[in-house]
Amino acid sequence: MLSSFNAIVPMACVTAAGIAAMTAEAFREPGEEMPIGPLGVIGLVGAAVASGLLWNAKATSFDVVVADNFGLFVTWVLIIVGLLSLAISAPTVERERLPRGEYYALMLFAVAGMMLMATASDLLVIFLALEVLSLAVYVLTGIRRDLPAATEAAFKYFLLGAFSSAFFLYGIAFTYGVTGSTRLDRIGRVIAAQAMAPTPVQFLALGLLLVGFAFKVSAVPFHMWTPDAYQGAPPAVTGFMSTGVKAAAFAAFVRVFLAAFEPLRSDWAPVIWVVAAATMILGTVVGVAQSNIKRMLAYSSIAHGGYLLLALVSANDVAKGAVLFYLLTYAITNLGAFGIIAMLDNADRPNDRVSDYAGLWSDHPTLAALMTIFLLSLGGFPPMAGFIAKWYVFSAAMKAGYYWLAIVGVLTSVISVFFYLRIIVMMYMTASSEMPVRFPEVPRIAGAALVVSAILVFYLGILPARVLAWAAASISTIF
Amino acid sequence: MIALPIAGAILLLFIRDDEHNEALIRKIALVVSVLVFAETLLLWSRFNASSADFQFIERHAWIPDFGISYFVGVDGISLLLLVLTGFLTPLALLGSWESIHKHTRAFCMFVLVLESAMMGVFVSLDLFLFYVFWDAMLIPMYFLIGIWGYDRRIYAAVKFMLYTMAGSVLMLLAILGLALLHNTNTPSGGYSFDLLQLYGMPIPARLQFWFFLAFALAFAIKVPLFPFHTWLPDAHVEAPTAGSVILAGVLLKMGTYGLVRFAFPLFPLAAAYFATALATLAVIGIVYGALVAMVQPDLKKLVAYSSVSHLGFVVLGIAAMNTQGVQGAVYQMLSHGVSTGGLFLIVGMLSDRRHTRLIAEYGGLKKVMPHLVAVFLIVTLASIGLPGLNGFVGEFLILLGAFRWNPRMAVFAATGVVLSATYMLWMFQRVNYGEVTDENNARLVDLTPREWAVIVPVVAISVLMGVLPNLFLRPIEPSVQRMVNQVQQSAPVRIQAGGRRTRNLQLGMKNSELVPNSESIPNSKFPIHN
Repeated sequence: MLSSFNAIVPMACVTAAGIAAMTAEAFREPGEEMPIGPLGVIGLVGAAVASGLLWNAKATSFDVVVADNFGLFVTWVLIIVGLLSLAISAPTVERERLPRGEYYALMLFAVAGMMLMATASDLLVIFLALEVLSLAVYVLTGIRRDLPAATEAAFKYFLLGAFSSAFFLYGIAFTYGVTGSTRLDRIGRVIAAQAMAPTPVQFLALGLLLVGFAFKVSAVPFHMWTPDAYQGAPPAVTGFMSTGVKAAAFAAFVRVFLAAFEPLRSDWAPVIWVVAAATMILGTVVGVAQSNIKRMLAYSSIAHGGYLLLALVSANDVAKGAVLFYLLTYAITNLGAFGIIAMLDNADRPNDRVSDYAGLWSDHPTLAALMTIFLLSLGGFPPMAGFIAKWYVFSAAMKAGYYWLAIVGVLTSVISVFFYLRIIVMMYMTASSEMPVRFPEVPRIAGAALVVSAILVFYLGILPARVLAWAAASISTIF
Repeated sequence: MIALPIAGAILLLFIRDDEHNEALIRKIALVVSVLVFAETLLLWSRFNASSADFQFIERHAWIPDFGISYFVGVDGISLLLLVLTGFLTPLALLGSWESIHKHTRAFCMFVLVLESAMMGVFVSLDLFLFYVFWDAMLIPMYFLIGIWGYDRRIYAAVKFMLYTMAGSVLMLLAILGLALLHNTNTPSGGYSFDLLQLYGMPIPARLQFWFFLAFALAFAIKVPLFPFHTWLPDAHVEAPTAGSVILAGVLLKMGTYGLVRFAFPLFPLAAAYFATALATLAVIGIVYGALVAMVQPDLKKLVAYSSVSHLGFVVLGIAAMNTQGVQGAVYQMLSHGVSTGGLFLIVGMLSDRRHTRLIAEYGGLKKVMPHLVAVFLIVTLASIGLPGLNGFVGEFLILLGAFRWNPRMAVFAATGVVLSATYMLWMFQRVNYGEVTDENNARLVDLTPREWAVIVPVVAISVLMGVLPNLFLRPIEPSVQRMVNQVQQSAPVRIQAGGRRTRNLQLGMKNSELVPNSESIPNSKFPIHN
């Protein structure tokens, strides 16, 4: 009996840590120091161990959560996201006097929701997970209540997110109407049986689900909320949501579209083709025009979503592994970049314009070097991880015969290099005109986390074979 | 050999970057680069010059799922380019001994990392590995230009980066396409990025066409071939001396090396199809580069445009695709590396003294600095291609090869030789002869011992390459021979033309009849799939 709980042990660990964080905050004397952050670390490490034990076991819980290798790989990505986010959040929480217990608890609940989303095998559970993570992230976006920009960002994000959830739910309802089930495997079977003559209602269901996912992965034309939300949230939260939400949403996206709705691929592939191309182009071209580094990285993250869609639409064995590897490298790299932004964020000024980075090399050579590594990796330069990830995605597209999409992909990645270079130009080649001490000290844990991310970026870039093999092994379990 | 400079760079990371350690940092970097040079010479001495095969092969599985391996080896073509890289890097470091004072440690690190990447490009026999080095090389070069360059350095650095990137990403797709093709098109199957396996793989003519275009674009931008050259003057002019030396000396050779190693042997049919077009662009580049060089007021720009012109010769030799042409092209790569490297070093010395690169600011230097002017003269003459110095042999062989292939091209190209004498000598005359017009020039010091150490090797090699060309040609020859055979066997059209192209084929180029053409040829090793 108890073994049916196995598959949800990882998220239970994280949820428990979140509850512990809340409780600790509730019973804390005013002014008393409590190790709330480390509680989260314990929860995440526990989840990592639990998922390690579940590897290859293909445990299922209550027929709605399945801890297959695909889900576990994404779970690990999410654990890494969680650990790095906790590490880079500490200085922000400290400096801005954010409510510590709530902040960490929300972050942990969001991670738990993401994990559930990545392993759910039932549309309703996916929806549930989506809501768990979204609500936590809405609050985190607006957690700096005294900043009008933050409130605005949270509100925008919430309104549009609520809309997209409604679309998604509607899609589930139609799917149920067509197939009589919300479970992915059953949906897949029914759709495969009817694939010869798909009904309009099937397309309606498909389209509504697609809209819901497109919102969450900020694909064009449903990307509008992204720049505002990314800019308004504290940088650590932005890093967290730009990677975690994307990873979870893509995991579910892959499950729903490449497993359940696979028989209709010839119908949805052209749509995603167009969306992917538009997402890559818009993300990079608009990114060039940004002067705020968070907005710039927001558009860059839209573009990266486009590359992931490129892999998704390719839908072959290479592509599925590519999605996983891309999510992992993107998570590490983007969190690293936002970590640096978080380090430079001051209480009195955010330091988030591109021109604020002028002369960073002279003031903080290590931070500048780390930022360079992350940016070059985002731009897809060898020997950084980003290169291998992009190469993997493009080989999937070439293999699937999407040559033009691959060409769009590589050309947009050249354009994107232009704006990554702008930041590097600022850091290294422009003298700083400001007063000497502009940037706060870098706390030790956050610094260590960033260095570890940089090492991982190089590791995945130079010796990717093992992780690529894991990614390839993970996809074999669900397809 | 690739690892040593990187190790040196990592070692430097542990030395504090302050005034105190500056000399130490420079010395370590110099010692490392000299060791690398010694290593390349050792490689040469152990190299079996009579064999055309790849030697010193190392192969380790890297990403086995995709058939990617760390696969390196050296043949006659890459061997001497390695030696050239090893030769120029210490000179570049030594040449900027006194002009670089800010962030010395980072400077030395970037130069060493760059050296590693360049070596990697020349030895890679795995296309994926090649691409990794090819792209990785951009980063240190970008920083070298962007941080230590002159006034418009940021513009130049970004332009350099974007131009090169734009060309090479399409090559990445072509590489991927090749690997996938190997999966579907060969009996053994499986992805492969292994160059030697891909050499033997039949590629449908229509795909060859696209793949060749993608490769050729990447290499043409790097060379740079005529319409793609606009990044070069900017990058050269704004780069610090060391950057210019390495850029002109080694980086440009990567484009031509890529044509010889990858584009032509992998896609022989398409290469035959595009050879005339490439050669035409090369000849336009030769003449255009020379004419533009003539009117440059800036010394570095003049040398930069002269590179466009000289590299045009190299591409012409490759396009001719006969032994003389390609051998000459490889020789010219080396010789251009030495003489243009030398010219940039000398321009660097001048601008260290006067902080200007305008020709008009100089004049009458011979009276003030006789030694510097003497070596300047030798290097200039070497660059022009005076018999007895290095430039002559390569240009002569190229023209010979080109003449056998297409006399008209050779005639036009030969005017480039005359023009290059004109602009070089005119520049030399304006800078060094006449009266000292600017009194700032009257008190300039002659060569310092360090500068002697920089320039003497350049002059010595120039003379050696001019007098004993066989020393350098011997290791090149078998590899070139093999490569030419390989291309011509697969593209039988060229052999039937017997060295001179027939009228028929030239017409064929225009209305793209090459594909049916080659299908009709019996015994073609080349199955046509479309």
